[in-house]
Amino acid sequence: MNPPRPPEASDDRVPFFGTWRAIYAAVAACALAVMALLALFSRWPF
Amino acid sequence: MAFLTQGLATADWLVLAAYLVAIVAFGLWVGRGTRGIDDFFLAGREMRWWAAGLSVMATQISAITFVGTTGQAYTKGMSFVAFYFGLPFAMVVLSLTVVPFFYRARVFTAYEYLEQRFDARTRTLTSLLFLLSRGLAVGVTLYAPSLVLSVVLGWSEAATIALMGGTTILYVVYGGNRSVIWTDVVQMALIWFGIFVCVGVAIARLPAEVGLGDALALAQTASRLETVDLSLDLTKPYTLWSGLIGGMFLAMAYFGCDQSQVQRYLSGRSLTESRLSLLFNAFLKVPMQFLILLTGVLVFVFFHFHDTPLLWNRAELAQLETRAPVGELVRLRAEAEAAHRERRSAASAFAAARRAGLDPEPAREAYRASQQRLEASEAEVRRLAAGPGAAPVNDVNYIFPSYVVSQLRGGIAGLVIAVIFAAAMSTLAAELSSLATATVIDFYKRFVNTSGTGAHDLLVSRVFTAVWGIFAALVALQAGQLGSAIEVVNRFGSYFYGSILGVFGLAILTPRASARGAFYGLLAGMATVFLVSRLTSIAFLWYNVVGALTVFGVGLLITAASGPSGQSGTATTGLAASPAP
Repeated sequence: MNPPRPPEASDDRVPFFGTWRAIYAAVAACALAVMALLALFSRWPF
Repeated sequence: MAFLTQGLATADWLVLAAYLVAIVAFGLWVGRGTRGIDDFFLAGREMRWWAAGLSVMATQISAITFVGTTGQAYTKGMSFVAFYFGLPFAMVVLSLTVVPFFYRARVFTAYEYLEQRFDARTRTLTSLLFLLSRGLAVGVTLYAPSLVLSVVLGWSEAATIALMGGTTILYVVYGGNRSVIWTDVVQMALIWFGIFVCVGVAIARLPAEVGLGDALALAQTASRLETVDLSLDLTKPYTLWSGLIGGMFLAMAYFGCDQSQVQRYLSGRSLTESRLSLLFNAFLKVPMQFLILLTGVLVFVFFHFHDTPLLWNRAELAQLETRAPVGELVRLRAEAEAAHRERRSAASAFAAARRAGLDPEPAREAYRASQQRLEASEAEVRRLAAGPGAAPVNDVNYIFPSYVVSQLRGGIAGLVIAVIFAAAMSTLAAELSSLATATVIDFYKRFVNTSGTGAHDLLVSRVFTAVWGIFAALVALQAGQLGSAIEVVNRFGSYFYGSILGVFGLAILTPRASARGAFYGLLAGMATVFLVSRLTSIAFLWYNVVGALTVFGVGLLITAASGPSGQSGTATTGLAASPAP
């Protein structure tokens, strides 16, 4: 017997970047950029 | 050292008092009209993403994180930031997996979903593990900042615990999760403001002849600016890899399986709002932690040019002065002061060489040597303070509060102490609310009274919130006598965090996993992590990877061995049912 599926929750439209895929890509790109900036900060010849 | 005997000025007390009165009044005001447990535990499921997101952030940053990481940056540098490298990726994974499953299952607790998917015993065991670990940790959440503030401010521990705990219990019992989230929003705004003030003040209070570039050059020479360590050594706590992989598993376990966090985003008014509340943190967490660590580094440079005590913990210092042989203490004090003077001269010479456009390398080498001599001198003091055979005294948590109380004026010290209170109270509030939720939903309404009225359930929920608050205060009051038990409590969660993550992985990623596989896989995961922690010296961030993968592997093996008879539950299973990203 297939288990019953919970009722669908209402889901608003994606508010930023158009799609969820674009939001996730932005998160990953931002995280990588922050790590690169941190590495640059550590090695910057102050 | 005179500065450790200074206290807060009147303006600081006024700022701190204004914060406490305002936050309690605000918490009570937003919590008015709470009806039913849906309101009390999930804020009526009507929160916007930014409110739930700030609450997620406020719950994670505790007072001891705030004062501990600044102290860590002071003594060891910024490598701790790697701890958060995996967090943004964990948020993406959670948004794709557990968030839609929890949200659509309309559950109150994460563990409730496990009964829908597997069986009651898996739900009960995971919820019980949460209550045990979080229930003990909530006492430490209250005790740790109270201990630091009582030493720095000269209050009794009981008074600090009563003030911090009493005010928080008041608005959480009255307004439930709606009060928790809205006070978190205010507290997180205050924390962000406080972070910028701390960075600004730390820069402004550098000596006139030392610019920000000079300060960072000094910190870099003293190895305080290292953030990305590419080492593959599994025993090193904070490397790029342990942060990315171990940190990601830890963040998935904490944000995906710990009720104190799950409850934040289950309060979202839609699935979109719940997801965005987590992704909001993915953008901001690492930069925020960087700023906190930078504050510690700037305080480190600041104290190149100002006197420091022999020990930052005033209580430890008093004990040392009583216990240590007088001649030994005089010698160590003289050596420390000479090493400090030497470092100050070397730092000034280094900054002057940079300003004059001279080759700074000889001055840099002289400064590096003076820093090493000072660190050796400080290490000897810590060994003497600990006594023969004991681990050296660790007082990093006292550095930042001591700096605040002794160096900041004009109400700023009061503001920063209020920020430390806010960090403690926001974490405590979320923990009390989640403990009450798990107790009522997973135990009281599951086993004791399954058909209570709305008014009865609300009353019981308030009673359990108060009980957990009183329990936290009692643990905090006794924590001073627990000694190494506190460390046990802190480590307790790390033994099963990854394993619980493995159970949720089985529930969501594998349609075939059975209840039997999940239950015994969980036991196998916890046992494996325990053995790994005892028999190897790998860094703790890897425990979460070991636990999750063991549960996943053993769970699938048992499922395959026992066949479909072990399967139960009625919830949606497998990624096939996951909404499109």
